[in-house]
Amino acid sequence: MLTRTLLAGVLLMGSTAMAQEAVTPEPPIEVNAARAELGKRLFYDTRLSGDTSLSCASCHHPDKAFADGEALSQAYTGNAHFRNSPTLANVGFRAAWLHDGRLGTNLNDVAREMITETYLMNMDMRIMQERLKQDPVYVEMFKAAGMSEPSNGGARNALMDFMKTIQSRNAPYDTGTMSSAALRGQLIFEGKGNCVACHSGPRFTDDKPYNTGVPTNPAIWGEPERHSTFVTYAKFFGVPAYMTLREDLGAYVRTHRPETARSFLTPTLRELTYTAPYMHNGTFETLEDVVDFYDAGGGDDPLKDPRLQPLELVPSEKADLVAFLESLSGESFDIDAYVWRADDYGYEVIEDWRNVQN
Amino acid sequence: MSLRSTLTALAALAIASAAGAQDNPRPEGLAPLGPPPIPADNPMTPEKIALGEKLFFDPILSGNYGMACAACHAPEAGWAVQAPISFGYPGTTHWRNSQTIINAAYYGKLFWAGASGSLEHQARSAARGGVAGNGEDDMMESRLAFVPEYREAFREVFGDDWPSVRNAYMAIAAYQRTLVQTDTPFDAYMKGDDDALSDEQKRGLELFAGKANCIACHNGPLLSDEAYYNTGVPPYDGWEDDPIAQITYRFEIYAKGVTEAKYRKLKDDPGLYFRTKQESDMGKFRTPSLRYTAYTFPYMHNGMIETLRDVVVFYNEGGGDNEFAANKSAQIQPLGLTDPEIDDLVAFLESLSGDEILIDYPDLPVMEPLPAQN
Repeated sequence: MLTRTLLAGVLLMGSTAMAQEAVTPEPPIEVNAARAELGKRLFYDTRLSGDTSLSCASCHHPDKAFADGEALSQAYTGNAHFRNSPTLANVGFRAAWLHDGRLGTNLNDVAREMITETYLMNMDMRIMQERLKQDPVYVEMFKAAGMSEPSNGGARNALMDFMKTIQSRNAPYDTGTMSSAALRGQLIFEGKGNCVACHSGPRFTDDKPYNTGVPTNPAIWGEPERHSTFVTYAKFFGVPAYMTLREDLGAYVRTHRPETARSFLTPTLRELTYTAPYMHNGTFETLEDVVDFYDAGGGDDPLKDPRLQPLELVPSEKADLVAFLESLSGESFDIDAYVWRADDYGYEVIEDWRNVQN
Repeated sequence: MSLRSTLTALAALAIASAAGAQDNPRPEGLAPLGPPPIPADNPMTPEKIALGEKLFFDPILSGNYGMACAACHAPEAGWAVQAPISFGYPGTTHWRNSQTIINAAYYGKLFWAGASGSLEHQARSAARGGVAGNGEDDMMESRLAFVPEYREAFREVFGDDWPSVRNAYMAIAAYQRTLVQTDTPFDAYMKGDDDALSDEQKRGLELFAGKANCIACHNGPLLSDEAYYNTGVPPYDGWEDDPIAQITYRFEIYAKGVTEAKYRKLKDDPGLYFRTKQESDMGKFRTPSLRYTAYTFPYMHNGMIETLRDVVVFYNEGGGDNEFAANKSAQIQPLGLTDPEIDDLVAFLESLSGDEILIDYPDLPVMEPLPAQN
């Protein structure tokens, strides 16, 4: 615990004493502080995308709990995404990543997927590595993090460590300062609403996919840039009839079992006040809409999870439930500990190029 | 052709040859350029060529929907880039000189070090390269499906239910096989028209095939033996002072595959070595055709020589130096040409270009929504 506290102190150095004393849902994950700091700079660097137009932060804004406020996220130049950008709060604790759960290994792999995927950042990581080596700030930061020089793998590990530091802080639920409405809502959450059946644990998710009948978002099929991006994805994952498909098959891309069609990972309920709109395709604008959706027993899908049944909540119960959900949001991530503020991204000529080692 | 006209033609040719043999002998080893070879698996049809033309100019075949083939092979720039190094993909620069599309159809291998065996393969490599098109086949193919005009054309030309990106490269290659120039003054001269070259150019041709011995490598109808040599072209000077160029240099040697020791040490383009991994091939590049060079300045694989005259001076001085000196061709020796001889040689080189080939850019179709079929 001493180690952890010291690391946290280093990590959040320059932010606030408050941050060090923050109440978090779970104990912080131990990371290499210098590597996490390096990851923070990488996270905001657009040179991690092929045409230098996007950084991780382009779709994961710190002031929106690292979501982007859009129903459907943007994507690489010439594309548009078909999914909602998820929060990165507590992302290091997840058992699986992406709405379809297709990554179940670690955040290093998640970073690789985001950086190299053609419709996301479309980066040839060999070019990325050489870009990093051309930036003296990175050369120093990689050394400080115990790596001899900038590399692909090192960059991914650094992003992983930075992401592991992104933890909810001082949510009323954790600090014991919930309103009476929120406390009443918690009883519904755990009782009559049985939301806890899937939204369990400190992050309020079991990290498993379910079909809840969320309606499709017609924007995916109405805009050719978005639709073609979806086709690229579906084709890559071997989905049959991808040209005539007009629905997001979710976890099916990973399992290829028909009964998993249109199932998506239970999302965390942390930081919801920052992350509207909701659902994997951003189809609900408010928490009230989401509560109404589940109160009605979810959507219309033959593969819908049978546990979804009408809840018959009265208006005051719905309001209490929303109050509880809101109590799961903590302080903004738009603080120095999570944002690379310096405008210091640049390349420098390597002088005496012919005589120095590459 | 009737017997009579055949005989007449033969007689005319005989007369021309006789005259040529008397006054202006045509050197052995050079020839006029005929039609390009058409591969049996990609026959030419007007519809395929028209489709290929659109695709050549359409940025749909790139990662960012912004870099058409024509971005680095622009008709008004000699179907190339009139700068030492080709434009790279946004955020990058390239590391070699963009080669003209004109007469590319005749090469057995494409790219400066012969990395591609066909125009079809070359198109795909360029569309996908990290410092070129940076596209990916699944994504580019998906986009093509959203263009109604392409759906129709790919169905008609290739029988595709949905456009196949592999067939896009076939169509582009077919279009490129129409971008040839076989009517230069040199071609007319080689076919018997004694007046097609000026006296200066004729003297230049004699030097080309004689004292200067350019013909040792620049031979055949293409004026290239398609073999690989190190002539001592100096390294690209942008690597000294351009950080983006330094990035691309390291990326290329890393991506194309060298040992770590070489990755650390190399400072110039190893060229053919990437394909053969033979030390003796370090710094070798394919002899380029000399056709259409009036429009394709600057010259050499890295654009390090600005004018045709500079190129002639370069070889007159016995070529240059680079870090692969051990592999420099022994054929490259000082030539002892006088200034008037250099002028003559340059004048001859200019006879290898005809009129500039310019076209009206095609209208490009765009992606449209694709409603469900019911």
